[in-house]
Amino acid sequence: MAGKDIFNVEVFFIVFREALEAIIVCSVLLAFLQRSFSSNTDARVYKSLRKQVWLGMAAGILVCFILGGAFIGVFYTIGSDIWSKSEDLWEGIFCLIATIVISFMGIPMLRIQKMQDKWRVKLAKSLLEDPHKEKGWKRFIKIGYYTKRYVMFVLPFITCLREGLEAVVFVGGVGLTSTGSNRATGFPLPVVCGLICGIAVGYAMFYFGKSASMQVFLVFSTAVLYLISASLFSRAAWYFTNYQFNKATGGDASESGSGPGSYDVTKAVYHVNCCNPEIDNGWDIFNAILGWQNTGYYSSVICYNIYWLVMIVVLGLMWYEERFGHLPGTKDTHLRDLNPMFQLKKKFGVVSDLSEAEAEALVEKVHKVKYNENGELIVEEESQEKEVEEKSAELKQVQNVNVEAK
Amino acid sequence: MISYRFQFLITLVGLFNLVFSAGDASLVNSTFNSTIGSVEYYDLTNISYTSGETKTFYFDVTYFYASPDGFNRTVVGLNNTWPCPDIHVNRGDRVLIYVTNKLPDQNTSLHVHGLFQHGSAQFDGPEMINQCPIPPNETMLYNFTVPDQAGAFWYHSHTKGQYGDGFRGAFIIHDDTDTEVWDYDEEVVLTISEWYHTLSGVLDKSFLNVNNPTGAEPIPDNLLFNDTFNSTWQVQPNTTYLVRIINIGAFVSQYLYMEDHVFTVVEVDGVRVEPNVTDVLYITVAQRYTVLITTKSDDSQNYAFVQGVDEGMLDVPGTFSHNVTNQIVYNADAARAGDYIIESDDYDILDDFYLQPLNKEILYDDYDYQIEVNVTMNNLGNGVNYAFFNNITFTPPKVPILNTVLSAGENATNPIVYGTNTNSFVLKKDEIVQIVLNNQDTGTHPFHLHGHTFQAVIRGPDYSDEADPIPYDSSNFTSDVNDYPMMRDTFYVRPQSYFVVRFKANNPGVWFFHCHIEWHLSQGLAIVLIEDPEGIQSDSRQQLSDDYKRVCEKQGISLTGNAANNSVDYFDLTGENVQVAPLPDGFTARGIVAMVFSCLAGVLGIGAIALYGLSDIKNIEAKVAQDLDLNIEEVEEADENSSVTEIESSGPNSKK
Repeated sequence: MAGKDIFNVEVFFIVFREALEAIIVCSVLLAFLQRSFSSNTDARVYKSLRKQVWLGMAAGILVCFILGGAFIGVFYTIGSDIWSKSEDLWEGIFCLIATIVISFMGIPMLRIQKMQDKWRVKLAKSLLEDPHKEKGWKRFIKIGYYTKRYVMFVLPFITCLREGLEAVVFVGGVGLTSTGSNRATGFPLPVVCGLICGIAVGYAMFYFGKSASMQVFLVFSTAVLYLISASLFSRAAWYFTNYQFNKATGGDASESGSGPGSYDVTKAVYHVNCCNPEIDNGWDIFNAILGWQNTGYYSSVICYNIYWLVMIVVLGLMWYEERFGHLPGTKDTHLRDLNPMFQLKKKFGVVSDLSEAEAEALVEKVHKVKYNENGELIVEEESQEKEVEEKSAELKQVQNVNVEAK
Repeated sequence: MISYRFQFLITLVGLFNLVFSAGDASLVNSTFNSTIGSVEYYDLTNISYTSGETKTFYFDVTYFYASPDGFNRTVVGLNNTWPCPDIHVNRGDRVLIYVTNKLPDQNTSLHVHGLFQHGSAQFDGPEMINQCPIPPNETMLYNFTVPDQAGAFWYHSHTKGQYGDGFRGAFIIHDDTDTEVWDYDEEVVLTISEWYHTLSGVLDKSFLNVNNPTGAEPIPDNLLFNDTFNSTWQVQPNTTYLVRIINIGAFVSQYLYMEDHVFTVVEVDGVRVEPNVTDVLYITVAQRYTVLITTKSDDSQNYAFVQGVDEGMLDVPGTFSHNVTNQIVYNADAARAGDYIIESDDYDILDDFYLQPLNKEILYDDYDYQIEVNVTMNNLGNGVNYAFFNNITFTPPKVPILNTVLSAGENATNPIVYGTNTNSFVLKKDEIVQIVLNNQDTGTHPFHLHGHTFQAVIRGPDYSDEADPIPYDSSNFTSDVNDYPMMRDTFYVRPQSYFVVRFKANNPGVWFFHCHIEWHLSQGLAIVLIEDPEGIQSDSRQQLSDDYKRVCEKQGISLTGNAANNSVDYFDLTGENVQVAPLPDGFTARGIVAMVFSCLAGVLGIGAIALYGLSDIKNIEAKVAQDLDLNIEEVEEADENSSVTEIESSGPNSKK
């Protein structure tokens, strides 16, 4: 427990990951600006816009800290009462949530340029879309609807806020897995470390480019992240088994230390009367990273192995798809097509299934964007207006021709 | 209520077949209200054996319904009634009890608690030790005498937790000298016990269960006082009562306290002691205290008689009332006494260790044979919590120990024939035996020795607060040892502490020594003492009765053979009953397999991550450049200047 009271490893990695993502957002925006101003020499506007990006990010993170602190505070004040009773059940559920979250967000770290691509397209869309063209309520959620002038501030602000809040929610959830209903003391240090590492890595990437050693670092941290995730999955199963046992025994077991009686002998694969991660110092870190328990249940051991098996298969499929453009045994099926969430999003048009060429065109467009002296976006609206004017002009001409013909 | 109870019993005589073959040697002993005697030195052990009468009882063990505390439940009663009657006999009587098992679905047995059973070990009761269990529809005659004991005893089933279901009652041996020794006007019996609303068999199943890994004893539903709840004791003013207080419960110790009255203890467990006045009695299950209670001359007020549970014995408090206030009623028209709560810290509680027997039997100055046992509680491989003496949980042999004694010939002196899992010790005739008991458990345990009263030599203090139990250290022997130690048959040990008791092996027989908490007995907290086996074999009275043999035959249990039912080779214990295998100590084969597979899975998984992650590393520079939208051409141009050879080797298509 002592270890976890000071440094919660899961929290560190989540914060690290989200910080990295925030940095990527900024780097992409800065790159856009750089391209737009490469031919332009209005250094004053460029500087001011760059300042907006940094300020937006800083403000986003700040607000996120405030909201997040309040959120976690409330979460724990209310939460500690709710789940102190069936602690093992809740710990199991939060372990499960954490493992799902980490599993889905970990792998993209290995393809950092994909992450960057994603953000490039996303941000390009945000910049270029004319919110006034949207019909009904949808336009109110578009950033550009409210401001054009401070788009370079608002965009990183909103993005950092959203990413950050996501992190807070996960940190809150994951933190609950750290045994016991109220263990918030294990948060500050890993949050700070995660922020520092995330920013450092992002900064290094932006200024020094992606190097082999950077990739090795990312591989290493992803491996650690998945070790944790596998252990969380195993622990979820362990907690569920223990919850059942505690229910059957009337909550006796948790009081009996690590000796006989503290575990369900009928479901145990192994047990040692020591090294209890919930009692003995040191073993809790072993538990956090490698999922160690002094009682191995069939469920926890099997879940640990299954987790890795699934991971290996998924990574194999991803590798194959990257290499050959589709999944083995199919012609045009992609991994994401197997994701029900993706299908759902596609159905409701939340995901625009842009082709690569379309995405490139979008990005190209952003590069041609012009800013006025106030730093407002000007170019694409004009061009659109021009297009409309031209079209209407053509229409008029055609109409005129028709009239003349009559 | 107590006096009423006693009179009620008289009516039972006719009703329930309690037949006295000795005619009108009445149950209501005329000496009860006899004249006042004076307390004087009286040596029970030197009493010449009086040739008494023969008293015959018929016990049909039957199911019955009873609601002593308002909750109607199935009980095990006698002769289709409940509570079970009090039995009164006189010292020197021969007692015949015909026990017929009319329970359709379980065995039974009868033990009269505290009797020496000289020459009649086969009628002591514990099944698979002193007899075969009586099957349904079978009768067994218990035939014994009570030549040299008097006082408060009790009888109960010695089959599993059966007596907790109601098969228990007082067994009082009166003595002609009672009235000479004690100054009293009237005699009453007061039984106390805890009470469950669930049959013991049901409780036992959930108690000895993998889902009860801590061995938490079932929590009682109530405390009974003379087998009723919130009772009333109608008393006369200016009267001295001789009250036989017996804890006939199966689990919890109780405190007894009377508002503005005192107990004068004069006898414990059938041993007369120097009178000792106390406010509060602490009585474990199976213990008896005979006390004098003198009422007030003023009969205008009623008083509380409080019984309180020893809360330290409860795993969780439960929902039942830990303090029950009964009424000492002087005046039925006056207000009832208010409720009282015994706070054990507030009173001077009798420590029975310092009582002194009237006969002033001097401490045996040394011992010939020592049995040192450590009490522990732990889980075995099936996840059930058991109790152990020296890491052995008593597991009944296939043949009752007494059968083995009588059939093993000269091998009977070798403890091995009684099996490896019965914790059997063979005692030589007339040796002084010392039992050192180290309680490594955190609970209080009342230990009972059959066939003897023992000298309570040492009892250690409560070591609950110590990190580890404190064992007996023989170098401390001289401190706190009484010259005339208290003697009794049920003696409690304090948490994480110890006691030392001594007795003389002058009563050939097979004697069970066990914790009298029935839950702990079912967990195996028992040893067996085989005292002078040759003396048993050579005594014609000890030969098995026809009833005994028939009961064994009905049960399909052999009359001969060792613990493994081997009558040919008594040293061959193949097939004996043994305790469940212990929980594996650390990793077993499957644990190692699980670990290896998990480690392998982890390593392979990390390998997969590394392979996937690093497979991206090809043409990484170009990708990064593209990704970051840096003005790569310019950068590269700058680079090219410094590395011309590379550009040349890249062919004609390279940039200008």
